[in-house]
Amino acid sequence: MSRLVPRCPGVRVILAVNLLIALVPGCAHAAASGVAPRTSTELVASPAEFDGEAVAFTGEVIGESMERGDMAWLHLNDDAYRDRNVEEGAPLGGYNSGMAVWIPAEAASTVVTFGDHAHEGDVVRISGTFNAACPEHGGDMDIHASSLEVVTPGHRVDDPVDPGKVVWAIVLSMAALVAFLADRLRARAEDTRGM
Amino acid sequence: MLLRPRREDHLVIGKYTGKIVIGIGFLMVVPLLTSIAFGEWDTVVDFVISISLCMAFGYGTQAVCRTDRDLGWSHGLVVASSSWLVATAIGAMPHWLSGHMGSYLDAMFDVMSGYTTTGLYLMQDLDHIAHGLNMWRHLLTYAGGQGIVVIALTFLFKGAAGAYTVYVGEGKDERLLPNVVQTARAIWLVSLLWLAVGALALAITGLALGQEPVRAVLHGLWVYMGAWSTGGFAPQSYNTFYYHSLAYELIAIVVMIAGSFNFALHWAVWTGKRREVVRNIETLSFAVTLSLTVLVATFALARAGVYSDAMVLFRKVFYQLVSGHTTTGFSTIYARAWVTQWGPIGLMVTTIAMAIGASACSTGGGIKGIRMGVISRAFMQDVRRMVSPERAMVTAKYHHLRDQLLDDSLVRTTMTITIAYLSLYGLMAVIGTLYGYDFLEAAYEGVSAASNTGLSCGVTAPTMPDALKVLYIIAMWLGRLEFMSVFALGGYAFAMVRGRR
Repeated sequence: MSRLVPRCPGVRVILAVNLLIALVPGCAHAAASGVAPRTSTELVASPAEFDGEAVAFTGEVIGESMERGDMAWLHLNDDAYRDRNVEEGAPLGGYNSGMAVWIPAEAASTVVTFGDHAHEGDVVRISGTFNAACPEHGGDMDIHASSLEVVTPGHRVDDPVDPGKVVWAIVLSMAALVAFLADRLRARAEDTRGM
Repeated sequence: MLLRPRREDHLVIGKYTGKIVIGIGFLMVVPLLTSIAFGEWDTVVDFVISISLCMAFGYGTQAVCRTDRDLGWSHGLVVASSSWLVATAIGAMPHWLSGHMGSYLDAMFDVMSGYTTTGLYLMQDLDHIAHGLNMWRHLLTYAGGQGIVVIALTFLFKGAAGAYTVYVGEGKDERLLPNVVQTARAIWLVSLLWLAVGALALAITGLALGQEPVRAVLHGLWVYMGAWSTGGFAPQSYNTFYYHSLAYELIAIVVMIAGSFNFALHWAVWTGKRREVVRNIETLSFAVTLSLTVLVATFALARAGVYSDAMVLFRKVFYQLVSGHTTTGFSTIYARAWVTQWGPIGLMVTTIAMAIGASACSTGGGIKGIRMGVISRAFMQDVRRMVSPERAMVTAKYHHLRDQLLDDSLVRTTMTITIAYLSLYGLMAVIGTLYGYDFLEAAYEGVSAASNTGLSCGVTAPTMPDALKVLYIIAMWLGRLEFMSVFALGGYAFAMVRGRR
């Protein structure tokens, strides 16, 4: 299931507030360049309305840069985890949500950190043209970007072991051992009686 | 009159349910090792807790429920259905401990979705989860595709004569080989061969697409598991849209279709009967209904002008509908694009494809191709009867591994299960609508859950009402086990209370 844009109003509000805060510097930049900043929620909700429009988009780069010749695919998430993810202790804020971006490989190479379990990726701002169903890319919804600017560098995420969990692990391991031994002892006792 | 179950009945059910939960515990060793390999120590602890819980429950139950009695028919059905519930409750532990789930109910939703090869999920911030947890998500859908009972049959049952009833209770009824344990092993043989070829092809393609070697291998393995099991889980929230590749989509299509075919068909091809592919009633039924749904959706989307290029239009429609019809749930469009781009006709056609679903005794769900084939043959037989002289004997046959006569008892059984599915689909649509969702969207999502497909247009969400989450869990469970063993569990529970001593 492709699950990128939350439908429920509660999560949308959380996302909207996050994005509002995050887009304040973006708005200034976008206004200067004359390109409207957009969110993935807006673009997916009304693809026909924005088709072919010049847009600015800000999001955390996740996964990797997939280079195809002189160009590359990036995936930018503008969701509740854009600046801090669950592994770092961010509260749950719904599904991931973002946009696929087709960009010159040289521009993509400025991204240093990609978001995954161990990393919060670089937050970048791109500007380009939104395609509701890109004919060049098999009908995919994407943005063909011409520029990329790193807004916030990414960082490594530490996910320390919870000491409470370790205690539970020890207790349950002991319980499993006791259950295993009880089962084996009963089986052996039955075998002896059978003989 | 139902007889109240005796102590021996409880013991035999407890003993075999315990064995299946031990099997789930062993399965968790794979994600545990994955997390160790990537140094995800918090996730390692999550899996140690979960494995210990499985072993404590499984061996504890076995120790308490010692009996030499073999499984009877009703025991087998009850073991199949109850073990899926227990395995879901315990299997949800790694999800819940990860911190990515809103509640334990959400974790159980995802695990039931995995076992039943549905693919709907409530996990939040999927793009930042540990490799170990991603391995568990995909492994449980792969294991669910084979059938978790099949796993236990393969490794733990050691030739119990009554094991066949548990196997049937899990929605599989083909004996590929005379012995059911050998059959379970044959299913694994077929699956592992496909695993080697499919995962390798996807990994090599991923490398060519610009993925790093480790990620290409992991994604290849996971996407293969999602495709073969017709589960539809993918490692990124973008699903298979993430790869932007025709080659990747083509490989996924081949694996999805292969996974949706009857294991008996695979075995027939494996043993040299290759013509079975073009003669079998299920493959013919699949070809007809897939072609029709693709045709209608292509026409509707062409009229709507969503895709400007004919090849692009066909690529999008064919991929989504193969995914829907095989009950996989992969997609290369955004969830809300089903509504904002595909529109009402696109939603309806995909709903029909999901409702029909895959082949019997496969990893897929839905009404199943064989039932569609039998019903259409029976319909044609009735038409021929009406136009034939009164004294004429009108018979009909269908081909499934061999030519078989279409008799009324078979048609009746087929209709019973089909009506059960249609009733479930209808119920899901109505209840979803009562919760305030648009009827078409509620029907689409409800059918997706009950047919174990996993495509979503946005109804499934962490914030959906808990009662609806519970309903979806039950629908996934009922749909996967094809009702009978769940009814048997209900009957068993009823007999415990009201049965005659």
